[in-house]
Amino acid sequence: MAEHQELINAMLSITNVLLTAGEETPRYQELVTLVPWNFIAQILNLFLQMFLIKKFLFKPIREVLEKRKAKADAEISDAVKAKEEALAMKAEYEQNMLEARDKANAILADATKTASAKSDEILKEASANAVAIKAKAEKDIEQEKRKAVNELKEEIGGMAMEIAGKVIEREINEEDHNKLINEFIEKVGEA
Amino acid sequence: MEISVNGAKIYYELPFDIPILGRLQINETLVVSWIVMLLITGLCIWLTHDLKVENISKRQAFAEMLVEAADNFVVGNMGPKFKYMVPFVAALFSTSLVSNLISLTGLRSPTADLSTEAAWAIVVFTMITAQKIKTSGVGGYLKGFTTPIAVMTPFNVLSELATPISLACRHFGNILSGIVINGLIYAALAVASKALLGLIPGAVGKFLSCIPILDVGLPAILSVYFDWFTGVMQAYIFCMLTVMYIANAAEE
Repeated sequence: MAEHQELINAMLSITNVLLTAGEETPRYQELVTLVPWNFIAQILNLFLQMFLIKKFLFKPIREVLEKRKAKADAEISDAVKAKEEALAMKAEYEQNMLEARDKANAILADATKTASAKSDEILKEASANAVAIKAKAEKDIEQEKRKAVNELKEEIGGMAMEIAGKVIEREINEEDHNKLINEFIEKVGEA
Repeated sequence: MEISVNGAKIYYELPFDIPILGRLQINETLVVSWIVMLLITGLCIWLTHDLKVENISKRQAFAEMLVEAADNFVVGNMGPKFKYMVPFVAALFSTSLVSNLISLTGLRSPTADLSTEAAWAIVVFTMITAQKIKTSGVGGYLKGFTTPIAVMTPFNVLSELATPISLACRHFGNILSGIVINGLIYAALAVASKALLGLIPGAVGKFLSCIPILDVGLPAILSVYFDWFTGVMQAYIFCMLTVMYIANAAEE
């Protein structure tokens, strides 16, 4: 029992101490004063804060900004490269087009020249042919004409002799006869 | 009616003296400073988690805006060679701003303790001096005190020392005056409301006069100036002066 009493007393005294500690009038610094420990602590706090802000705000944000900048730069340089490529392709294409046009023009001119040469040749040949044909035809006609005239001459000569012999029943002088025939033929030939 | 405007509350003090520095205390200034640091660091971590290169969130856009604003502030006022100063100025500004504004939550601003501003001012003063020595050498720096004539030396030294003192006291004075005036206004309005409601006869008047009804509302309007405006302005001014002093020290 006595031990218990002692324990209870001890606990009561501790409680008392704790209660009075809470009720102790709070102590204050003076309103305007320099406390060395505060001074030192605040200097350290300021640098600690600087370090924390640097680590947790500036470093990550700057990294992100840097990354974004690098990305934008890369995109711009890509775009520039693509543009250069496109321009080169365009120049090449234009060059090709120009060459093709030249080639086409050359081919066309060539073809025109060939065609005109050929047509000239054909025309020349044709006209030569025509001339030859005409000449031959003229010659043939002449020949035929002559042949026909000769045949006619003979036939008419014979016929006339026969007719005349029959009509006058006398023999005409061969000389007169020939003269008459020739006279007649001359007239026929002129007709 | 008795009003007292006290310094920071002392939570714990080592029972023995340390030479020169006095007793080590854990007080309100330190505790709230740590809360401020936790807030700022937590905000930084929250702002910068899950960063993306493309298609960014509003949170990330805000974080990037903050970084760019800090860059613009420092580089715009000091030139690009002082870019390494950006985290320091950002830490100074954010700590000062959050410390000033934390009084809105009922905590005591760490900036209402001269030790805080003195610490910052000494750091800035050291940087200014280091910059001056870097720019013109130790000889040039010391010679600078004798300009334009040797007689002016004491005044030059005084004006040099005035820099950190004015820097610290300007900020501290503004915050402290806010606290003092707020304290006075709360107390005065409590007295006024007691007197006004005490006019009601009987038990009702006695009861109502215990409640400082006039303390509701009006101090909030004043707090727009004393907490918000002063808090933001002083943080800005402190950083602006820091930046200007260091940039000036780099010239010549």
